[in-house]
Amino acid sequence: MAEPSYDFAPVRVREDLVAAHRRVWEHISRPGTWWTGEQRRAMAAETRHARDCRLCRERATSASSSKMRGRHDGLGGLPEPIVDIVHRLTNEPGRLSKDWFNEVLAKGVTEAAYVEVVGVVTQTVNVDTFCHGLGVAYHSLPAPALGEPSRHRPEGARPERAWVPMVSPANAKGPEAGLYPLGGVPNVGRALSLVPDETRSVLDLLAAQYIPAGRVSDFWFDPQRAISRAQMDLLAGRVSALNRCFY
Amino acid sequence: MHAFLLRVSGQISGNEYDLTAIARDEAGESGVPHGSTLVAYADAVLGGDDVALSHARERLLQELGAEALVDAAAVVATFAMVDRIADATGIPLDGKVELMTQGIRSEVGADAFASASNTPRPGLLRRAIGRVLAIFLPMGFRLMRAIRR
Repeated sequence: MAEPSYDFAPVRVREDLVAAHRRVWEHISRPGTWWTGEQRRAMAAETRHARDCRLCRERATSASSSKMRGRHDGLGGLPEPIVDIVHRLTNEPGRLSKDWFNEVLAKGVTEAAYVEVVGVVTQTVNVDTFCHGLGVAYHSLPAPALGEPSRHRPEGARPERAWVPMVSPANAKGPEAGLYPLGGVPNVGRALSLVPDETRSVLDLLAAQYIPAGRVSDFWFDPQRAISRAQMDLLAGRVSALNRCFY
Repeated sequence: MHAFLLRVSGQISGNEYDLTAIARDEAGESGVPHGSTLVAYADAVLGGDDVALSHARERLLQELGAEALVDAAAVVATFAMVDRIADATGIPLDGKVELMTQGIRSEVGADAFASASNTPRPGLLRRAIGRVLAIFLPMGFRLMRAIRR
């Protein structure tokens, strides 16, 4: 049986969504741009483990999480600065700050390596949240594939107002041509473009689970879902409010 | 952003939705069909109570069916991902969206979120343009709806 599978889910999961989740799992297992397949898998495992972290629980009830020091309950396979990124991103995304991000860089994590961590963690959260929502067990994490990271930094990446450089549609040339298949894309669709493979994978998920990124502002676009556009945007707005996400 | 998209969805379909339902502590009526069921489901997926989630899932299944449950789970999962990407990269709101959502952001309390600091505060001119757009955009969307009919 191919993994991940929803064969034992209480409801039938449409095939295009199953296929999208299989592509994500394969993507996580492969050597990335700045991290090996083994390290990427370790990030996915740490994402799951983070939910039970004692330090994160204490921070969640603290008025100022940045002032609370201590060690995360990590699995031990990743450097401490990466464990901190994974745990904070999993447990308190609404409290991340530019000051914290600058501290991460000061510890020697490059912007591009950081972006790739964000890609792996958020896609793991995505698939796990879907399973939780349906009431099915989390999928086994994929076995890591061998190989070296590509270390490809897109030439078109430029500093903008975000914390990390991004590739604009106008600068998506050479290996990045076709990065934004529909041309225009909101900022969140290109937020990880310093690592183009993470952007490709996230845009693939957006199209299968919600609406293709370039069509979000097209109110007459019909993604053929069983819930209406208004119902989807009510859910999206509620989740963003719960996460205290301004975007 | 999605509060804005929801408002536009309503204007295009000829409905007035209560956007504060997005930010209220308890799931309330928004005017969106089965809205309280969907909001309760989102709350339960992100909450830590397995019994509440089981009830919310069952209610959604009964009211909207199995395919809707899958699509609702997919949207909740998407924004569990997207919100984290936005917060971890410090992206600002897209320029046009920033202009068009000034009133809505305060309506749903989003200006108080820590990540609001990633979007520069609008100057006098942009605030003025935002107010003008708030008046004329609904008319524009109603006109577009009429034309498409």
